[in-house]
Amino acid sequence: MDFSFQVIIRNLPYLLSAAKWTIALSLVGMAIGLVLGVLICAARVSGNSWLRRAAGIYISFFRGVPLLVQLLMFFYMLPYVGLNLPATVAAVASIGMCSAAYIAEIVRGSLQAIPRGQAEAAEALGIAPLALWRRILIPQALRIGLPSLMNELILLVKVSSLASVVGIGELTRIAQNITGQTYRPLEIYLTAAVIYLVINAVLATAGRAGERRLSIWVGR
Amino acid sequence: MELDLYVRYGPALLSGFGVTILCWIVGSLGGLVLGFAIACLYQWSGTWLRGALQAYIEVVRGTPFMIQLFILYYGGPYFGLVLDPVPAGILGFMVYGSPYFAEIFRSGFQSFPKGQLEAARCVGIDEWTAVRRIMLPQMLVSITAPLTNFFIILTKETAILSVVTVPELLAETQTMAAETFTYVEPFLVLSLFYWFMVEFTSWLGKRVEARVTRHLQRA
Amino acid sequence: MAKSAKGRTGDAIITVEALSKSYGDFQALADITMEVRRSEVVCVIGPSGSGKSTLLRCLNFLEVYESGEVRMEGQLIGWEEGKATPRKQLSAAKLRDQRKNIGMVFQQFNLWPHFTALQNVAEALIQVRKLALNEAHDHAGAALEKVNLGDKTGNYPSGLSGGEQQRVAIARAIAMEPRLMLFDEPTSALDPELVGEVLNVMKELAGEGMTMMVVTHEMGFAAHVADRVAFLDKGRLVCCVPPGEIFGRDPADARVRSFLQTYRERNVV
Repeated sequence: MDFSFQVIIRNLPYLLSAAKWTIALSLVGMAIGLVLGVLICAARVSGNSWLRRAAGIYISFFRGVPLLVQLLMFFYMLPYVGLNLPATVAAVASIGMCSAAYIAEIVRGSLQAIPRGQAEAAEALGIAPLALWRRILIPQALRIGLPSLMNELILLVKVSSLASVVGIGELTRIAQNITGQTYRPLEIYLTAAVIYLVINAVLATAGRAGERRLSIWVGR
Repeated sequence: MELDLYVRYGPALLSGFGVTILCWIVGSLGGLVLGFAIACLYQWSGTWLRGALQAYIEVVRGTPFMIQLFILYYGGPYFGLVLDPVPAGILGFMVYGSPYFAEIFRSGFQSFPKGQLEAARCVGIDEWTAVRRIMLPQMLVSITAPLTNFFIILTKETAILSVVTVPELLAETQTMAAETFTYVEPFLVLSLFYWFMVEFTSWLGKRVEARVTRHLQRA
Repeated sequence: MAKSAKGRTGDAIITVEALSKSYGDFQALADITMEVRRSEVVCVIGPSGSGKSTLLRCLNFLEVYESGEVRMEGQLIGWEEGKATPRKQLSAAKLRDQRKNIGMVFQQFNLWPHFTALQNVAEALIQVRKLALNEAHDHAGAALEKVNLGDKTGNYPSGLSGGEQQRVAIARAIAMEPRLMLFDEPTSALDPELVGEVLNVMKELAGEGMTMMVVTHEMGFAAHVADRVAFLDKGRLVCCVPPGEIFGRDPADARVRSFLQTYRERNVV
């Protein structure tokens, strides 16, 4: 077996450059997922039974279908509904919508961990539900759910590799291209794997540090 | 919805379904066994081996499934591993799943009250029988939910096998869609199908959990 | 005592009329009728499960009851006026409006852990009374001064003792300048040595003329600070009389007697 480090060194710049797209896809996807996820969670726990049911179906669907299938379906469906989105936007939107379903459940679990008394105190003071959510419940839910949310982000980094299937030029796609030119799959894919590892290791460390710092706020 | 299209592609879709289920079951069980072995090794070994196992877990959990498949299928021949797509898919599944299963078993071991094994020793039951008859059945209680969860995750991961040309359900659906120029419908059907598989597995898991925790129900 | 300094005009701040509440088959409150007058301190005592907390929580409609009325200064709380059957609950917005004038202190403090003491007290001022940030913080600071926590405004609840947390909770309620203060076993969750500082704050509040209804097991407080003591047993109001009639000499009712008997055996009244 001949393993060529030359190949790795020569192509590393291209791989690193593509890694930027991986990070971008993951971060933007997470951002969309957070915003959408909190909204869906609000619907899921609301008093309106239609909203609850709709949110439940959304969560069940986007967690029940493989993301790869969601991506492909989204891309194929766009021309049918007359939308002409750039591929990257479509990919991020699809990833974001999927992530929102998982985040909605994370936030819901975190909300349940907040002692009921805190909402009661707000009720007794006459604070409106929107202010209660915005200022008291959601900030705490995000802190309580931080480990799971961090996990979700790490998952998104890995799952961004699926965007290669729809032609987005992130790390996996570029790795495939380079492999096609150099016929060195082992070297290139191993390097890509290492890059993913490094990104995730950084995220995991940042997550642990964040958890420690925020722990003073979380309950007793 | 043109039914005769589905009739024509029926066999292909069914075969794809068969491959999906095959990879899922064999791959998951293989990963479960491998994961169990890793967890046991971890429990009863020294720092050197533990470090190596921990590294394995971190590496597999930190890289995308797709990259792992590429390394095994496309890179494999370069270090002597030549596999057909389906065996490669199953192997990939086993490797991908093993660290997650290992973690589930490891936390199951750790959360088990040691006192029960001590009590068994005191009445003269030997270590292996105690583990088999007392520890494992009760561990089932704490690991059933995470196991079900992960099995569900794995049903969805089967779709990714299509990227290394495994002729599973997604691949066959894509072929059908491309050949008949109908994209949206087959994919909708495919989605509903996965959704159903996930809900079914979830239901099954809940029933297993109920059976396994029966002794904990209050009369 | 400062009691005589209070302007007790005798008019009722809150009136309860035939209040009944059940949880399924269990009757938590049965036909309670009572009133709390301006600047009065009414302590509610009784055995566990007698409905004391439930009564308090019905006053500000944290619990919904089946029959009876609660009126604050004549205004019906929680229900729409009128003879409609079944009667309609007030809209959420109107209920919030009513709650602005009733302050509540909980057994578990219920402070918001991600806010400092100052932020905890200021939050309702900003969200409900719509004060500007600076004004709200000034008011909040003053309220915290009143409960002797002026130096701890920047502390998070995790950095405060139980007694300090409860005093912040009191400050949070009084900052809204309510006309009535409800206390639901305010010292039951505190270590014994911290109970005194909270009771002192409550005593001061009473001395300034605040109308208060306090559910408590602190008989000393009930005996010395209350204007009247209400005794609840199995959801019924047994009596509501000045403390002297219960604590000083032998109380008339057998249930009150036996309750205080067990109490005396375990504590000093």
